[in-house]
Amino acid sequence: MSAATDGDDADPLLKVRGLKVHFPITQGILLQRTVGHVQAVDGVDLDVRRGQTLGLVGESGSGKSTLGRGILRLGVPLTAGTVEYDGVDIAGLKGERLRKQRSSMQMVFQDPMASLNPRQSVETLITEPLLAHGKPVNSDTVGRLLELVGLPRGAALRYPHEFSGGQRQRLGIARAVALEPALVIADEPVSALDVSVQAQVLNLLEELQERLGLTYVVIAHDLAVVRHVSDVVAVMYLGGIVEEADSDDLYQSPLHPYTRALMSAVPVPDPEVEDHRERILLHGDIPSPADPPAGCRFHTRCPYRQPTRCDDERPELRVLRPGHSAACHYAEQIARGDIEPADAAQMVGTS
Amino acid sequence: MTRPVGVRSEPLLEVEDLAVVFHGSRGDVEAVSEVSFSVRPGEHVALVGESGSGKSVTALAVMGLLPLRSTTVRGSIRYDGDELLDLDARSRRDLRGAEMAMIFQDPMTSLNPVVPIGVQIGEVLQRHKGLRKTEAREVSGDLLGRVGISDGKRRLKEYPHQLSGGMRQRVLIAIALACEPRLLIADEPTTALDVTIQAQILELLRELVSGTGTALVMITHDLGVVAGLCDEVHVMYSGRVVESAPRRSLFGEPRHPYTGGLLGSIPRLDSARGEPLTPIPGSPNDALPWTHSCAFAPRCGNRVDKCTVQTPALRGSEHVSRPGDEQALRCFNPLDTREAS
Amino acid sequence: MSIAAPTEPSGAGQPTPVADVAGESLLRGAWRRLRRSPLAIAGAAIVLVFVVVALAAPLLAPYEPASTQWAGLVTPQSVPGPATDHLLGLDSFGSDMLTQLIYGARQSLIVGVVSTVLGLSVGATLGLAAGGFGGKVDTIVMRLVDVLLSIPSLLLAVSVAAVIGQSQLSVMIAIGVAQVPVFARLLRGSMMLQSKSDYVLAADALGIRRRRIVMGHVLPNSMGPTIVQATLALATAIIEVAALSFLGLGDGDPAVAEWGRMLVAAQERFGNDPRLAVYPGVCIAITALGFTLFGEALREALDPRQRR
Repeated sequence: MSAATDGDDADPLLKVRGLKVHFPITQGILLQRTVGHVQAVDGVDLDVRRGQTLGLVGESGSGKSTLGRGILRLGVPLTAGTVEYDGVDIAGLKGERLRKQRSSMQMVFQDPMASLNPRQSVETLITEPLLAHGKPVNSDTVGRLLELVGLPRGAALRYPHEFSGGQRQRLGIARAVALEPALVIADEPVSALDVSVQAQVLNLLEELQERLGLTYVVIAHDLAVVRHVSDVVAVMYLGGIVEEADSDDLYQSPLHPYTRALMSAVPVPDPEVEDHRERILLHGDIPSPADPPAGCRFHTRCPYRQPTRCDDERPELRVLRPGHSAACHYAEQIARGDIEPADAAQMVGTS
Repeated sequence: MTRPVGVRSEPLLEVEDLAVVFHGSRGDVEAVSEVSFSVRPGEHVALVGESGSGKSVTALAVMGLLPLRSTTVRGSIRYDGDELLDLDARSRRDLRGAEMAMIFQDPMTSLNPVVPIGVQIGEVLQRHKGLRKTEAREVSGDLLGRVGISDGKRRLKEYPHQLSGGMRQRVLIAIALACEPRLLIADEPTTALDVTIQAQILELLRELVSGTGTALVMITHDLGVVAGLCDEVHVMYSGRVVESAPRRSLFGEPRHPYTGGLLGSIPRLDSARGEPLTPIPGSPNDALPWTHSCAFAPRCGNRVDKCTVQTPALRGSEHVSRPGDEQALRCFNPLDTREAS
Repeated sequence: MSIAAPTEPSGAGQPTPVADVAGESLLRGAWRRLRRSPLAIAGAAIVLVFVVVALAAPLLAPYEPASTQWAGLVTPQSVPGPATDHLLGLDSFGSDMLTQLIYGARQSLIVGVVSTVLGLSVGATLGLAAGGFGGKVDTIVMRLVDVLLSIPSLLLAVSVAAVIGQSQLSVMIAIGVAQVPVFARLLRGSMMLQSKSDYVLAADALGIRRRRIVMGHVLPNSMGPTIVQATLALATAIIEVAALSFLGLGDGDPAVAEWGRMLVAAQERFGNDPRLAVYPGVCIAITALGFTLFGEALREALDPRQRR
């Protein structure tokens, strides 16, 4: 059971259960032996309700991008689990059936330059997927889609390299919505863009959601971006979801120690806030997903780590409040203040 | 924020009317012009801008790292009273590493992949401090400890690829700080890092430069990073400074429409959800030439007729709330400041 | 750099200005850059002269090819040098040097083009199969290519000549086969690289058919290095034809003028008449240089980093 959804909403558009993506690590030149696995995604449950935005936030190695691609079945073999889209399990789809399924679930990529074929004109870029799915294309199709994403109709005859980063991302979005999908997964849609341009693209995504009734999964490392666009936010760490909650709820009362640390690490462009807030500095680096720590995967860096359970028992994602769940054995005690961070040096107030 | 060294001391670095011209096959391109700023010992100054703003070029010009043949640097860069642009390449090289050091964005490509990190740190010590190999190794190990790499002595033998991104950035900081430089330039030092690692590195920088009187020039596109770290902020657009102010004034009452626009377009973690963002239209590519207009005019919400026919000059502002706070603005029609006391 | 017209500041839904340059595809851009590169023009000029001379040999040559009617003038000690009726003198068989050089160009062009086309078509097909299908097909094809690569091209030429006899055809096959691994690996390598790029993933995400992704996206973007290699291969082929002739593995018919064989014939008289070797040698060098220059310029023009 995913925790973020309550009983009253029984019909999510996307329902992921027990999803695992393990990549084999191979050695040898001729005879390749598998010597281990990168546990990129290791047991994820997710529900995405129609018309809503789920934000997936995490740092490198958290598996957020792999999860996005796993849901779309995009070059990522699923190790275990089910992906139910509109009531149908698509985890086992292959070949032509998978290809046909793609028109209903689309992706927006991080780097708009790299995700557009430099040799195709905008017109070809946009019409190609339509033709591949046998959808009607007329003289107005391209112009209408360009206008929808805020580009002039005249852009149809140009090539990707003639556009700025923000405009290219608009093209990527136009192409994704051309097929009239219900679900769009946006993987770091603004992180490659200039700061002043990011807001344009975020606003466009919101506007399109309203106009076209889209359901989004927005994947990003930037918690501020995710919080801004999402209804529900899931925080990932080393292949698993550690906390999932309504966006405001998560910001106001984070329950997982990792979420707290992550939130305190995001710089706010306001000296008043920066000077007076408390920072939780995490020790060390994010462990490798090829060799994740036993027990709670966060225990190696957790300031609230306890001698029992944390090292050897992997916490389940538990519903702690309606619509708010976290994977921490001691979330209640930490929230009540019963458990203090072990190492006071990790808490730093700004000078 | 209090700094151990008095704000009123003489500037360590004074950049005046700096211009950098690149000579390319398709003619000359003025990447930076009319850039002036100064940094006092112990002061933290930020150059903020997006791609193409000239912030990194300015840093490279100060370091003397621009290719001599294809660039012309005009204006004045005074370090501790000496005019750097008059020095020959050799003297500037002697300054680099010893007096002024730089940290780059990408910790992977800034380290030599086939040389152990201990050798890379030791090199600087041997070159500038004349230490012998064994001494250099000793000091290198201590330096790694100072930048938060435990068991520094043993790790000197490791190669860059054996370290994580955050660790590599720590090594780069160790190299930069090896000779206790008086000026440290950090060019997007945390952009390639994860958020929790970014927090560690920023905290480390803060720790290392405070108390030593090291002057820090922070180059970044991230206003959030600046807000907690820098005293003075210079916002650059298309090669020129458009607004300079102490951080509280800049964030509290931004006057240039570009600064205001940037602040309005960043989603903030602490802002109420659903509060719409007000983006700046267009992209940095849309800049007009400064020669007879304001480069930001095509994207500016406060644009008046004058903006597309005349170049706005950088003027000092009358609103000086505290002595020593230099404010400057390059705009014909600045944003209204809120009527605060 | 173009400057966009100022627009009213607006929300995300409003049109944003687009650069005012007419839509230009990558290839058109490459062509524009090529025309502006002095190296490309020099290379292209040499190549053009070479091709025209080769095609129009019967019109340009002052005499019939392989006509040894002046053999009587050649003595064991010396060969008559340049004169008004023989601008570059005679060769050691008593033929007109200029005529022989002009017909030699024709020979080099035929062998060069045919062998390169052969190497390119076989190599590119193998590369396409390996890069397009990947997996087992890739492993098998590439091991085959590795085997081919491990045989020295001269040994290959000797073997081919031994099997089908010493002829122009065997020269072309030998040179062509020697180029197969180069083209196969190059095309496969760039296709593998392109296959990993985001736009291929994006096409997959859009539900575009695999066949169309390979032929319409991956292949066109991988062609650049192969096209460049083909021009460079032409230069190599011309040198190799000469080398094979020099070793006596060339065309069996001694009457056919060929630069490499002219070099061989010049060997024994090099002390007295070095010009006999210099003329064909210079022809080989300049032609190879022309193709190389053009190939390098093409490489630069097609480089995506050069865009804009």
